[in-house]
Amino acid sequence: MQIAVLSGKGGTGKTLVSVNLARLAKDSIYVDCDVEEPNGLLYFKIPNIEEEIVYTKYPVIDHDKCIGCRKCTNFCQFNAMAFILGKVRVFKELCHSCGGCKIVCPAKAIEEKEKEIGKIKHGYHDSTEVFSGEMVLGEESGVPIIKALLNKVENSNKTIFIDSPPGNGCSVMESIRDADYCILAAEPSIFGLYNLNMVYQLTKNFQKKVGLVINKSTDDNLIREFAAENEVKILGEIPMDLELAKINSEGNFVSQISRLGTIFEDILAQALSEVSL
Amino acid sequence: MIIAVPTSTSGEKSFISENFGRCNFFYIYDTDTEIGKVYTNIYKDGQHGVGLRAAEFVLNQKADILITPRVGEKSLEMFKLSQIKIYECQNETVKDNITKFLNNELKELH
Repeated sequence: MQIAVLSGKGGTGKTLVSVNLARLAKDSIYVDCDVEEPNGLLYFKIPNIEEEIVYTKYPVIDHDKCIGCRKCTNFCQFNAMAFILGKVRVFKELCHSCGGCKIVCPAKAIEEKEKEIGKIKHGYHDSTEVFSGEMVLGEESGVPIIKALLNKVENSNKTIFIDSPPGNGCSVMESIRDADYCILAAEPSIFGLYNLNMVYQLTKNFQKKVGLVINKSTDDNLIREFAAENEVKILGEIPMDLELAKINSEGNFVSQISRLGTIFEDILAQALSEVSL
Repeated sequence: MIIAVPTSTSGEKSFISENFGRCNFFYIYDTDTEIGKVYTNIYKDGQHGVGLRAAEFVLNQKADILITPRVGEKSLEMFKLSQIKIYECQNETVKDNITKFLNNELKELH
């Protein structure tokens, strides 16, 4: 079972929610899909981290064979190739590795090579299995790393908690593709509401079951009203709390503190019962 | 000599586009024939790499001069492979900028 935690904007508590739920659940897997800035490993203390490199393909042009027909540059939807000064130029970091240029080339002048795009870290914190993706700086898309991460866990029968990237772009779509349930983390601010709505629309398009967690909760009703209007269940509210902020900022699990732990236990119990509905 | 200018609307009376890769049109002016041609920038709404496509277009027009507010890193990399010279535009129409360039009143950008 996969439960993805996502949010429109950053800093609303995706990682706070997902690491604590993964820690509370028995036999769980935590997957950090926020590969541009993964921070789940700040919480999980893993003695022996295994690393695996993730590669993607990119085209290399044999300029002796190239006849300059521009079929490849016209085909490329990501503008990763251009015909400039008599030569096809490839911009690897824009390439989405679709392989189309190689297929359309009539002169067989294109070969694909592999390049490192990131890595996957893997290990255990007690019984919690942890995967974390990390993209090479300067790369444009983390999607191949997220694919590789989720391939690792697709046949697992454990409860999998996915810490999604922020926003509603390609990498978020990839991270929730197989999710059985989506937890939307939101904070009660106008900006927070706007971004919550964006990501809520995305989960609707993907026909996902969703629940809401209000983080930094105050007496502001912005998010509660949104939940009521859209008939989205509020799984729990995490208060604006100095002790929580301090424990969390030190890389510790706030769910291990009895006063705050019950909030996360409730969120987990509600989410699990919602998934099986 | 061929001068390329990214423009916001079409023609010599247009203002120069604030953006090179995402301009709406290119104005390509030939100083020998004194004829200017307008081309639509078909790549302007792409997510990534539009600057490259703009550079590709300008170089394929065999432009000697580009008048623009700025160019991106990847386009500049391509321009540096060529002989093209890049001049910084002023906040005036395309026509005024071309006149100023011909009078040596524009500053070279890179």
